[in-house]
Amino acid sequence: MEGMSATLLAQSGSNSALFTFALYTMAVFVVAWFSNRLLQGKSFLSEYFLGSRSLGMWAFALTFAATSASGGSFTGFPAKIYTHGWILALWIASYMVVPICSMGLLAKRINQVARISGSITVPDVIRDRFESRWLGLLATLLIVFFVSFNLVAQFKAGSLILQALLRDVEMYHQAGVGMGVMKNSLGWWPNVDPEYLVCLFAFSVAVIAYTTYGGFHAVVWTDVMQGVVMVLGVLIMLPLALWQVGGLESASQRLAEMTPPRMGTCFVWLEHPAKQEIRVPAGQWLAVSRDQYLADFETFLPEAENTIKKNLQGKSTSAELETALAELRQRPTHIAAGPDTILLRVAKTRVIRQGSVTVEKLSASGSRVSDPVEVVELTTPREIAEQLARLVQEESQRRGITEAELTSRPTVSWLKCTMSTTDVSTYDYLFGAAQPGRYYIAQGPKLDSLGGFFPLSLAISFFFMWAISGAGQPQNMVRLMAFNSATTLRRSMFTVAIYYSLIYFPLVIIFCCARVLSPGMDAEPDGIMPHMAVLLTTASGNPWLAGLLIAAPFAAVMSTVDSFLLMVSSALVRDLYQRNINPQVSERRIKWMSYASTFVVGFCAMYGAIDPPQFLQDIIVYVGSGLAAAFLAPVSLSLYWPRVTASGVMSGMLAGFGAHLGMYLLGWVINGSFFKPYQLLDFDPILIGLLVSFITVPLVSLLSPPPPEHLVRKYFCRPKS
Amino acid sequence: MVGTMSKTTMHKTVGNMPPDGYEWDPTFRNARRETWVILGVWGACMLWSVPYCYLNGYITAGQSVNPGDVAYVWGMPKWAFFGVFVPWLLADVATTVFCFWYMADDNLGEAHEGADLEEAIAEDSSTEARR
Repeated sequence: MEGMSATLLAQSGSNSALFTFALYTMAVFVVAWFSNRLLQGKSFLSEYFLGSRSLGMWAFALTFAATSASGGSFTGFPAKIYTHGWILALWIASYMVVPICSMGLLAKRINQVARISGSITVPDVIRDRFESRWLGLLATLLIVFFVSFNLVAQFKAGSLILQALLRDVEMYHQAGVGMGVMKNSLGWWPNVDPEYLVCLFAFSVAVIAYTTYGGFHAVVWTDVMQGVVMVLGVLIMLPLALWQVGGLESASQRLAEMTPPRMGTCFVWLEHPAKQEIRVPAGQWLAVSRDQYLADFETFLPEAENTIKKNLQGKSTSAELETALAELRQRPTHIAAGPDTILLRVAKTRVIRQGSVTVEKLSASGSRVSDPVEVVELTTPREIAEQLARLVQEESQRRGITEAELTSRPTVSWLKCTMSTTDVSTYDYLFGAAQPGRYYIAQGPKLDSLGGFFPLSLAISFFFMWAISGAGQPQNMVRLMAFNSATTLRRSMFTVAIYYSLIYFPLVIIFCCARVLSPGMDAEPDGIMPHMAVLLTTASGNPWLAGLLIAAPFAAVMSTVDSFLLMVSSALVRDLYQRNINPQVSERRIKWMSYASTFVVGFCAMYGAIDPPQFLQDIIVYVGSGLAAAFLAPVSLSLYWPRVTASGVMSGMLAGFGAHLGMYLLGWVINGSFFKPYQLLDFDPILIGLLVSFITVPLVSLLSPPPPEHLVRKYFCRPKS
Repeated sequence: MVGTMSKTTMHKTVGNMPPDGYEWDPTFRNARRETWVILGVWGACMLWSVPYCYLNGYITAGQSVNPGDVAYVWGMPKWAFFGVFVPWLLADVATTVFCFWYMADDNLGEAHEGADLEEAIAEDSSTEARR
C-alpha cells in the first residue's frame, strides 16, 4: 500500500504516536514519583546514582539491555538493513555473545570491588582501587568530556525520532508554526527548523524532569518499561511482516532479484499557480516517461555530476568519486532496456508556496528561484511494474475512471494529475549498480564505496567492537555495580541473551521484508521503522497497534539518554565535588547539588542540540569506541591482575585514548576528513586502541615498583582460614 | 608521582602468590576462571561466523549472482543460516549452560557505603595535623 494511501496511513499512525508519546510521558513521571519516594531514608548518593546496589533480576537485565540498545537499534539498524539487505545478519552477529561478554567479563569483580571500597561511580572504582586522586580525576575528565558530546548527539537523535513519528500530525505542525513565529520575533536560531525545536523541547523536558526527580531508580524502572515495549514491538512486527510478504523465502528471493536504486533530484511543476500552499510529501510517487527521462538526463548531466560531488566528497576517496562520475556518463546505455515509465519517490517533504508553480528557494541575491526535490528512482523491473499497478489502481479508484482511461493519458501528467516532473538527474550506487543479488550477498550494496558495505576486515572488527568494547563502556560498568547478588547476575545474563536473540535477528528479517513491502525509501531510511509500524498494523486490521510499535524506538533512545545524563551528573557531584573539593559536604547539600547538576547538565545538552555540530553520528561512534579504548584494559586489568600499578593504568588509559585518536588524526591527514579514520591493515581504530592499551598497562606496570601490599590484600585476598 | 603511597609496604610476590597469611579471595579466583571460559566462547563464535560467511557469502570483484541459483535454508540465505543463525542458537545454549551450571554463586560481600570518603577525610585530617 503506497502513494496516496500511504499518506493517509501515516496520518493515523502518527496520531497513535502522539497518543503514545503523551501516555509515555505520563507513565515515566509516575515511575519517577515512586522512585523519589525510595530516596527517603537511604544513603542519598548511593540511592540516587546507584539504586543502593539493590537491583534484582528483571530490573538489572532490562536496564542493561535497554541502555545498550540505544535509539540506533530501532532507527539506524533497521535503516541499515533496509539499505544493505541480508549482510546486516553478519554485521550484528557478535550480539550472540554480547550478553555473556559485556556482563560476564567484568560484572562479578567490579561489583565486588565497588562494595569493598564503597564506590558509586566508575572513576570512584579506579581511584579507590589505587588510592590515586589523579587517576580518579583523569577518568572523570575523560568521561565528562566524551559523554557530554554523546549526550548532545543522543538528544538530537531523540528529537529526530520524535520528529519522524509526528511528521503528519496537524497539532505538531501548528506548534511548529507557533515556534517559528516566536523564534523569528526573538531573532533566535535563524537557521534551525522550528518543528525540530518543538520536538527537542518536548523530548528534553520529559527526560530531564523524570531523570532529575527520580534518579537511578527512575532510570532503571523506565528502562524496564521501555525494554518490554521494545521486545513486544519486535515480536508483533515479525509475524505481520512475514505474513504480508508471503513468507521469508519469498522475501529473500525478491531481495536477490533487486538492483540498488538511483539517487538524485528532479523539479516538480504545477499546471497552474497554487491557490493555497501545497505540500509535496515524502513518499509521494512521481512518474516520468523513459523518453522524457533520457532527454532530461542529456540536458542535466552537469547537474547530476554536481549532485554526486556534493554527496560523495569527504566520504569517498578521489578514485571512488572519479569512478562514480565515469559510471554516470555511461548510464544512458544501460537504462535503454528498462521499462517505459520511470518511477521516482520523493525523499523529503517540500512545499509549493501559494501563487507559485514549483518548489522555490531564496537565491544569494534574495530572489526566488526554483529548487529541485530529492528523489529515489526504482531500478528493478518487477518492483516498478508492481508499484505502477498499485498506483494506477488507487488513482483510477480515486477519480472514478477505468485504469485504461487513466493510462491512455500522457505519462508525465496522469499521476497526481496537477503535477508534472522534469529535469530528472539521478546517479548509481558505486558498489552493486544494476546488478541483482547485491542484497543477498555478504558485502551488501554501497552508494559511496567501491568495496561494498561490509568488507571482511570490518566483520572481524565488529566482533571486537560490540562484544568486547561493550564491556568497556562506563555506562554499562555502572550497571554492573548495581545488582544485588551473583544469583541475580547469572539469571540476568541468561535473560539478556534471550532478549537480544528475540530482538536483533528478528529485526534483520523484518526489515529485509520491509525492502520488499515498501520500496524506494533509500534516501530517508531512518523513517522505515515508524513507516513499517503503520503499514503492517493497518494492513492487518489492527491500526491501534501502531502506537505500541512506534513507541519502541522512542523508548530505546530515552533509555540511553537518561543513563548518560545521570553518569555526567554523578561525575560532577560525586567525583569532582565530593571526592576532590569537599568530602565533608552535608547530605542535604549533596542532595540539592545532585538535583541541580542533573537538571543543568540536561539543559546544557538540550542547548547544545539546538544547533548541533555536523557529523553527530560519527561523534557517537568516535566516543563509544574511544571510551572503550581508554577504559577497557585499565579497568579489566585492575580487577584481575594484582600486579597492576597506578602508573600502568594511567599510561594504558592515555595510550589507548591516544592511539585511537591518532588513527582519526591520520585519517584527517590522509583521507581529508577526521571522521574517515585511517584503518591500519583495514581494521577499525578501536582494535588499534585496545591493542595498544592492553600492551601498555602490563608493560608499564612491570617497569614500575609493585603496588602496595595493603591494596592487594584489600581487593584480591582474604585471611587464610 | 601517581597515587598516594601512605602505606608503603610493597607486595613481594604480587601476581603469582597471595601475601603471607592470606589466600586469594574465592570470588576473584572464580571470576578469573570464568573470564577465560567467556573469552573462549567469544573466540569460538567469531572463528565460526566470520570465516563461514566469508567463504560462503562474499563474492569476488567482477563475479555476478544469478538470483535463480542462490540457496536458502528456512527462507534465509544459506550463508546467513549456517554462519549466523545456527551459531547464535548455540551461543544461547552455551550462555545458558554457563549461567546455570558453570558460573559460581559467589558472595559479593557487604557494601561499605562511604568507606572511601571516610578514608579520604581521615587522610586529609592527618595531612592537616602534620602541617
